[in-house]
Amino acid sequence: MSRVHCTRAYTIVRGSVQQRRDVLPEPAGDGGVHHVGVVQRPLRLVAVPGDEVHVGEQELEAVVVERDHHPVRGLVASVDDAASAFGTPHLLHFSRLPSFLPHHATDLTRRRRTGGFLATPPSPPAASASLEERIADAAAAAAAMASTSAASSSSSKYAKHRRIGEEEEEEEEQEAEEAEEELERFDDFTIASSWERFISEIEAICRQWLADGPNILTQKGAESVPSFDNLYVVKRELKHGKRVYCMEYHFMKSAKGKHSYWDDDTHSMQLSFGVYEFLIIAPLSASGVVLDDPESTKLLSSVAIALSNCGSNWPAFVPVHDPSRKAYIGIQNLGTVFTRRFEADRIGSQVPIRLIHLEGLHELFLSKFVLSSTDFPARVKVNFSMKLTYRTPEYDYYNEETLVSEANESIAESEVANHPKKQWDDDCSWAEWYSAEDPVKGFELTAIWGERVFEETLEMAEVENASSFDADHWLLHPIVSPYMVDDSIGKFVGFASQLQLLVKAFESSAEAQFLEDFVADTSGQENSKSTVTVPPPSVVDRVMKDLFNDEVGNSNYVEAENKYGRAMKGAPSDSLFAQFCLHALWFGNCHIRAIAVLWIDFVREIRWCWEESERLPRMKSTSSIDLCTCLIHQKLHMLAICIERKKSLSREKGTDHAHEDGISNSVAQNKTRKGSAGVVPSMMLLNTFQEMHAPYTQDAFLMTEDMHEERLHAAEAFGNAVGLSGQLERDVLSSDMSAFKAANPDAVFEDFIRWHSPGDWVSEDRAEGSSGWPPKGRLSQRMSEHGNMWRKIWNDAPALPVSEQKFLLDPIREGEKVIHYLETLRPQQLLEQMVCTAFKSSADILNRTTYGGFKLMKTKMDQLYATLASTLKSLQGKSDISDLSDDLKRLCQVFEHIEKLLILAASVHRKLIDAPRLSQAIFADYFNYYLPKMGTSLESVCYEKEFTAKEKVGMHERDAVSNLFPPPTANQSWRKVLSMGNLLNGHEPIQREIVFSVIERISNGHYSSPTPLSTDEQIETHRMYISGTSNDLWVALSVTSWD
Amino acid sequence: MDSSSSSSSTQAQSQPDFDYLFKLLLIGDSGVGKSSLLLRFTSDSFEDLSPTIGVDFKVKMVNTGGKKLKLAIWDTAGQERFRTLTSSYYRGAQVQIDFSVYDVTRRETFTNLSDIWAKEIDLYSTNQDCIKMLVGNKVDKESERAVTKKEGIEFAREYGCLFLECSAKTKVNVEQCFEELVLKILDTPSLLADASSGAKKNIFKQKPPEADAAASSCC
Repeated sequence: MSRVHCTRAYTIVRGSVQQRRDVLPEPAGDGGVHHVGVVQRPLRLVAVPGDEVHVGEQELEAVVVERDHHPVRGLVASVDDAASAFGTPHLLHFSRLPSFLPHHATDLTRRRRTGGFLATPPSPPAASASLEERIADAAAAAAAMASTSAASSSSSKYAKHRRIGEEEEEEEEQEAEEAEEELERFDDFTIASSWERFISEIEAICRQWLADGPNILTQKGAESVPSFDNLYVVKRELKHGKRVYCMEYHFMKSAKGKHSYWDDDTHSMQLSFGVYEFLIIAPLSASGVVLDDPESTKLLSSVAIALSNCGSNWPAFVPVHDPSRKAYIGIQNLGTVFTRRFEADRIGSQVPIRLIHLEGLHELFLSKFVLSSTDFPARVKVNFSMKLTYRTPEYDYYNEETLVSEANESIAESEVANHPKKQWDDDCSWAEWYSAEDPVKGFELTAIWGERVFEETLEMAEVENASSFDADHWLLHPIVSPYMVDDSIGKFVGFASQLQLLVKAFESSAEAQFLEDFVADTSGQENSKSTVTVPPPSVVDRVMKDLFNDEVGNSNYVEAENKYGRAMKGAPSDSLFAQFCLHALWFGNCHIRAIAVLWIDFVREIRWCWEESERLPRMKSTSSIDLCTCLIHQKLHMLAICIERKKSLSREKGTDHAHEDGISNSVAQNKTRKGSAGVVPSMMLLNTFQEMHAPYTQDAFLMTEDMHEERLHAAEAFGNAVGLSGQLERDVLSSDMSAFKAANPDAVFEDFIRWHSPGDWVSEDRAEGSSGWPPKGRLSQRMSEHGNMWRKIWNDAPALPVSEQKFLLDPIREGEKVIHYLETLRPQQLLEQMVCTAFKSSADILNRTTYGGFKLMKTKMDQLYATLASTLKSLQGKSDISDLSDDLKRLCQVFEHIEKLLILAASVHRKLIDAPRLSQAIFADYFNYYLPKMGTSLESVCYEKEFTAKEKVGMHERDAVSNLFPPPTANQSWRKVLSMGNLLNGHEPIQREIVFSVIERISNGHYSSPTPLSTDEQIETHRMYISGTSNDLWVALSVTSWD
Repeated sequence: MDSSSSSSSTQAQSQPDFDYLFKLLLIGDSGVGKSSLLLRFTSDSFEDLSPTIGVDFKVKMVNTGGKKLKLAIWDTAGQERFRTLTSSYYRGAQVQIDFSVYDVTRRETFTNLSDIWAKEIDLYSTNQDCIKMLVGNKVDKESERAVTKKEGIEFAREYGCLFLECSAKTKVNVEQCFEELVLKILDTPSLLADASSGAKKNIFKQKPPEADAAASSCC
C-alpha cells in the first residue's frame, strides 16, 4: 500500500494499468512529480489538502490526478518513494495547495476500503459561491458513490474482460478480494449528491450501450440517422436537477473501411473532429445548447468521468454558446496516455480578411499548435486537404429573353407580352400543353484536393490560385426541386394531374343519360359546385379553331409503333379525337360539364364538315379503318372516308356528261377494256392469249368495329343456315368479278380464279417452261363442282368497272350513321374512350421527349405502357365504374411518377448534353432515390431523406460540367466581391472546407485499447476543420495531449 | 371478393350455357381444307365444299372436366382479297386461338404460313397469351406429301405452337387436334381467367346491361 498525501482537493483516479510499466512515473521537472498514465479501471477519490491516500501497487501505476475532471497536466501528486515504485507501498504527496480552499479532512483510508470514492472537483472560481457546499456535498456523497456497487462491480468485470496484460492473474485475485469487500459493504444512497447520481446515471447508460454494441443496439431500435447509410443513433433522456438532458450516442453499424472524410456519408461531427462514434449531451431546451460556461464544463466532466469509469474511449461533446455559433466542446480519452480535447466555434459575419485566405487559416492552425506545446519544430509538416463546393448560378430566363428581344426589335410589343418568358422546356414535347417547372434547379460541383503536405505558409497561397481543374476529384450533384417528392395535390401540374381530373369526370359520367344534361342544369342542385366554371364561349371557340385548323394536322399521324400502344383502345395522338381529348384535359379543369360543353361544340363542328363536305382535319381519308383504335376514332375515320366519297360523287355528277360522251362508243362496243389497273405480269388469258389486266376494285370491308361486331353477331346468330353471313363478301366478290370482266372483256371464269384464288387452279404444266398454249390445267375440284357458288356469281356479274359500280359502301348513309352515333353518344361511353385516348396520347407525347435514352427511363416508360394497356383493357366494356376508378386513380399515380421522372430526365439530359455518361449516372442516382416512392399504394411515401448522391465527374467530362458555370456577365461580376480564390469560370465557391492535420510519430505510444484514429504508431495530434465562405467561418479543433 | 363473386354469379345466370368461351380462328391459304376440318369437327362429316366466301362461323360446345367450353370457330377465307378482313376477327377481349392450317401436299401453303400468316397474327393479336396451333391437313394423300412432318415440328417449335397432322377426309387426328387444344387451354390458368363467363360480356357490346338485369330477374 502506498500513501497518498493530498495537499489540495484533487480527484485521484486510481486504477490498474494493464499495459507495461514503462509508461509509468518518470521524474518530471518540479521536484518528484510524476506523470501517470490513463486509468484503465478507474476509481476516483477525492483528496483534500493534507490527505494521504494509500494506493495499491498496480493502482499507483495508474494514478491520474484531475482537477475539474480534466486530467491535470504537469504532475500534482508526488510519490513518496520513487525508488521503490514497484512492489512496495507508496505514498503520494499532493502539492500546490490552493489558498482559497478550505481544509477539509477526509478519512480517505477508510473510504478506500469501502471500494472507492468519487466526489466533486472544485468548481472554477466563477462558481466559488457554491463551492463549499459542493465540496461538502461531495464528501457526503462519496460513500454513497461507492455504493453504486452494481455498476462498479460490473465495471470491474468489464474491465477484467478487457485486460490482457501480464498481470492478469494477480489482478483477478485482487478483484476477487474487492468483490468480497463490496458484498459486505453497507449501501447508503441517502447522501449521494444529485450530481453524483447524474454521473452514475450516465455511466449506467453508457455501460448499457457499451455492452450492447452496435449490432444489438440497432436491433433494439437505434434510429438510423437520416441520409447516412451507416450511422445510427440511440438517445436517452437524463434529469439533473431541474434540467433535462438528452444524451445521444452516434455509432456506425459496421466498421468502415478506408474512406475519405469528404465522403457524403460522413456526419458533420465526424468530419469536423475526425471522430467515428461520439456522444453528444445537450439540454432538452429550445436552443439545445448549454449556454452557461460552468454548466457546460460540468456536463462534459460528468460524461468524461462516466465514460472513463466504464473504460470507454468515446469522444463526448457538449454544444455550447448560442445555437447559431454551432459551438462545441468535447473530450476524448485515448488509451492510457492521451486525451483529446475538442472545440468548435463559428464567426457568423465579418470574418477577418486574414482568415478568408488559405495563408491566414494555415497560420491560425499553426498558432493553435504552437500555443499548446513548444516542443514542435518551427517547420511543421501540415497535412492539407480541401473541398470546394460551387453552385451553378440561377438561370436567368428573363434576362436572356430581354436580350433576344432587344436584338430583334422588330418583334411587336404585344407579342413579347404574350410570351414574357422563355421557358426551359419550350422545345419539349409536353410544352404544347403545359409548362413544367424545371426539376433541376442547378448543380453543385464539389472539387476535392486530396491529402497534400505543406511546410510553409507561402505554399498555401499557390493552392489558392490554383484552378479548380487541378483538383483531384470532381463530384457533381444536381439540386432537384422539392416538388419532385412533394405529393400534395396541386403541387404538380402535368398530364397526370389532368388525367386524375378526367378520371373524376369519368366517375360522374354515369349520372346522366345525355351529355346535354350536364350542360343544361347550370343551376343544378347536386352539380352546382361553386368551383365549377365552364370557360366562356370565346375559349371554346379558340379550342375549336385549334382543333379544326386545317393547316396543322394534315392527318399524318404515325400509327402506334409500340406493341402496348396498340393494345390500348385509343386514338393515335395526332388524330382529331386525341387532340380533342388533350384539349379537354386542360379545359375548365376537365370537369364533366366542361367536357360536355366542349363535346357538343365538337360534334356540331363535325356535322358542319359533313354537311359542307369539308375534309375532316387531322384524319386520314384513306386506308382501312384500324380496329385497334377507339370506336369514336374509327367512326371519325369512317366519316372522313364518307366525306371524301361524297365529294367525289358530287364531282362526278358535275362531269357526268363529258364522261358519258367519252365512253359512249364503248358502251356499244362491249369489248372495250375499262378500269384496268395494269397488266398482271406473266398471266395470259386462257382463251385469247391476251395479257391479263388487274382491275381496280372497290375498297371493301370499310367497317368500324361495331359494324364488324354486328356482322359477326349476325353470323353467329344465323350460323351458316341462311348464308346471310356471307352477303357482304358475296357483294365484294361480285364487284370484283364485274371489275375483272370489264378489265378483261375476253376473260373466262378460269381466268378470274387464276387471278383471284390461284390455289384453285391446278396447273398440270410440268415445270419446263412449256411454250404450248393454252397452259394445261383445270379448276380445283371444289371450284368445278356443279352449282358452285363462285361460278354462279360469275355468271350473274355484269362487266362493270368500279367507277360505274354501285358503291359497296353508301357514303351518305354511313356518314349519317356516324353523325348520329356522335350526337347520341352516352356520356359514359364518351368518357370511357376519352380516358383511354387521353392516357395513351399523354404517354405518347411524353415518350416523344428526348431524354438521352436513359435505360432506366426507357424501361419505366415501357412499364408505363404495359400498365396502361393492362389497366385500360378492363375499361373496355366493363360497366362497373366504381371498380375501375380505383385502378385508374392508381394509374394516375404511376403516371405522375413517370411523368416527373421523365421531365427530370429531359432536364438533366439537356443540361449535360455533352456528358452522356454523367447525365445518365446522375439520373440513375435520382431514380434509385425516387424508386421507393413508386410503390403502387395510393398513399404517398413521405421522404425525410434528402437526395444527396454525387456523381464522380470523369476527366474528359470536366469541360462539359464547367460549361454549367457560364462566365458571369460584367453586370454580375461587379456585384460580387471576389475574395476566396479558386474561381471556376469566375465563380467563387459557395463553401470551402479545409482539414489541416499534423500526424506525429509516437515513439513509445502504446495504448490500452486500439483507437481507430492511430495507425500503429502514428497519431493525429492536431486537427483543424475549417468550413466557410468569405463571411462565415466555422472552425473545429481537436488537440491530442499527454496528460 | 363478395361483390365480385356475386356479380359473376348473376352473369352466369343470364348466360348459363357455358363456363368458358374461346374464339378460334382458322387461318391459312385457300384450299388447305379449313372448312372441311371444321365440318369434320362440328358435324363429323366430309364433303367437298365450295370455297368459303368471306367467313364462316360455327359453334362447338365441348365438355371437359365438368366444364362447358364454348368454342366460337371462325372459318376465314384464304383468298388474298379477303385477307384484309382478318384483322377484324382479332377483335374483342375473348381469348384467341389461332388455328393455322396448311396442306401437306402443297409446299407453298406451308411457307405462306411463316411468310404471311405468322406476321398477321403478330400484328393483329392483342392478347399476349393466345394459343397457337399448327395443323397439317390432307395426310391421307401421303403419296403427294410435300412437307415432311419434321418440318412441321420445326416450324411449330420456332413459333411456339401446338402441332398435329391430320386429315379431314379420313378423320385421322381431327378429334385429337381439338382435344389437345382444349387440354392446353385448361392447363393455362391465365387464359381461363380471361375466358371465364365473367369476361365474356364483351362479345356483344351492343347488348345493353339492362337486358342482363332482366334476364337475371326472370330466372
